[in-house]
Amino acid sequence: MTALPQAPGQIAAATPVRRRSRLTPGLAIRPLFLAAVILVVWLWVHYAQQDSIEQRNLTHSAIEHRLAQHIKVSLTATVLTIAFAVPLGIAVTRRRARPIRPFALLLGNLGQAIPSIGLITLIALWWQPGFWAAVIGLVAYSTLPVLRNTMVGIQQVDPALIEAARGMGLSRVAVLTRVELPLAVPVILAGIRTALVLTVATATLVTFISAGGLGDGLVAGINLNRPMLSFTYGVIAAVLALFADWLGGVIERLLRPQGV
Amino acid sequence: MSESNTANSSCATIVLEDLTKQYPGQAVPAVDHVTMEIPAGEIVVLVGPSGCGKTTTMKMINRLIEPTSGRVLIDGVDAMTLEPDAHRRSIGYVIQQIGLFPHMTIADNIGLVPRMEKWSRSRIHTRVDELLELVGLDPADYRNRYPRQLSGGQQQRVGVARALAVDPPVMLMDEPFGATDPITRERLQNEFLRLQRELRKTIVFVTHDFDEALKMGDRIAVLRDRSEIVQYDTPRAILAAPADDYVASFIGSGGQLKRLGLIPISEATLHPYPAQANGSLPTVVDDRTLRDCLDAMLAAGSESTVVINRAGDKRGCVTLADLMSAVGAAESTDQPAGA
Repeated sequence: MTALPQAPGQIAAATPVRRRSRLTPGLAIRPLFLAAVILVVWLWVHYAQQDSIEQRNLTHSAIEHRLAQHIKVSLTATVLTIAFAVPLGIAVTRRRARPIRPFALLLGNLGQAIPSIGLITLIALWWQPGFWAAVIGLVAYSTLPVLRNTMVGIQQVDPALIEAARGMGLSRVAVLTRVELPLAVPVILAGIRTALVLTVATATLVTFISAGGLGDGLVAGINLNRPMLSFTYGVIAAVLALFADWLGGVIERLLRPQGV
Repeated sequence: MSESNTANSSCATIVLEDLTKQYPGQAVPAVDHVTMEIPAGEIVVLVGPSGCGKTTTMKMINRLIEPTSGRVLIDGVDAMTLEPDAHRRSIGYVIQQIGLFPHMTIADNIGLVPRMEKWSRSRIHTRVDELLELVGLDPADYRNRYPRQLSGGQQQRVGVARALAVDPPVMLMDEPFGATDPITRERLQNEFLRLQRELRKTIVFVTHDFDEALKMGDRIAVLRDRSEIVQYDTPRAILAAPADDYVASFIGSGGQLKRLGLIPISEATLHPYPAQANGSLPTVVDDRTLRDCLDAMLAAGSESTVVINRAGDKRGCVTLADLMSAVGAAESTDQPAGA
């Protein structure tokens, strides 16, 4: 064994490094606030005068049914978006795919540039209205952030790390799974979080192609001139979107690689 | 270093034969028919201006860049016949940017190649600790840290440890100490030379800094455009007899001083210590170089200096005339090694 002289720098660096806690108490603020908003709306609805239309649409079972529909269509769309856009994003960052990179981004841009209501209606008209048409429309709409962030996340990995990894004898697959993807995780997750919030918000529109969701109650309130209905469902949709954003933030913190 | 954990401790001779890299769409090759032999267990420095093809030449050895034509033989085995990733795992690789993976602990960084080689967990653990000690970092303190918690110099020590993980016979180093401050660089250089005295790896070392080449190299290949070898010899032979003006310009000014800096005092014939000059002469420790003797003489305004050993015992004297004859003698005794 050779013991080499210790560098003076080591003394300074040897002081214990503070571990950043991943879940801070501050994280509880958002859900508490959202719960308070729901409580206020519930109390207001509970003690307000309601006619038969309002009563029918504001029962717990009516709200739960639409909320469940909303969550189901949003989650299905988000899972499919991830399953589609993350692999595509990885594929187009491979060296050989460089020529098709602009086209992939164009595709994503197109999906987002077309107004979502028009896109969903087009798909319903062209195919059939209902749950799956809604899902496809939402996937097309939220692909861009996931695709773009996957590409950016992988491309921002320091080329020196890839060079070191290749030079050490990691295969291209090993470089992807052990270096590029772990380091891209925070950026990819940020894209997924954006997509999730977009999807939850946009899913209020799928009522127009009879796919249900919170939009049902919202639109019913407008059509029947019952502001209490629109307001209640609108608040629930907003709270759900903010909650989804918060959940995405928590997941981001939990999955962020250590040391970065 | 204990040998218990080493996979392959022998060093290997590298032979480049007519090695050429021609990038498509470029008029001249980046590397043009380079032929050289890198002897086993030596540090060979490729030195030249940026863009001369030295890094390209080095990267063709581990096939990060595939040669257009020519061969790389490592202990007689043609590298082109090997599976590229396995070939690269058998060659240590150190780069200027270090390239430690920020999301892995120091132990995981060092243990990555052993893991790919399917070493057992306990063997990797032992090896990581052994290597951390080898590069002067306390394993208990450092193995579970992340790279960003280390200084630049410490990171490059880990970079060297990582390259040594599976005890490769050959190491490629691309300006490994280039990004560190002068003091840290000097220390890393000295530590690495001490390490190499034990490890005896075959090392290809790329730099644009001629002084670093003089210090690190057993041999230096001075390169010109397209990786053309202008001179390939020991540092002392190159300093004594630069092949042409290009090499001379690379050496720059102070060539004779640099030569003195490469001659250890142990090579000089010491005169007996003159009894009448009691205490008035400057002293130099006997593990230094003739350049340090000259420096001591200039500082004290005397024409000789006393050589002492680490314990402080006087061993003899070196005079200005000795230095002059050493420089003159070096010219005739340094045989150019076959290029």
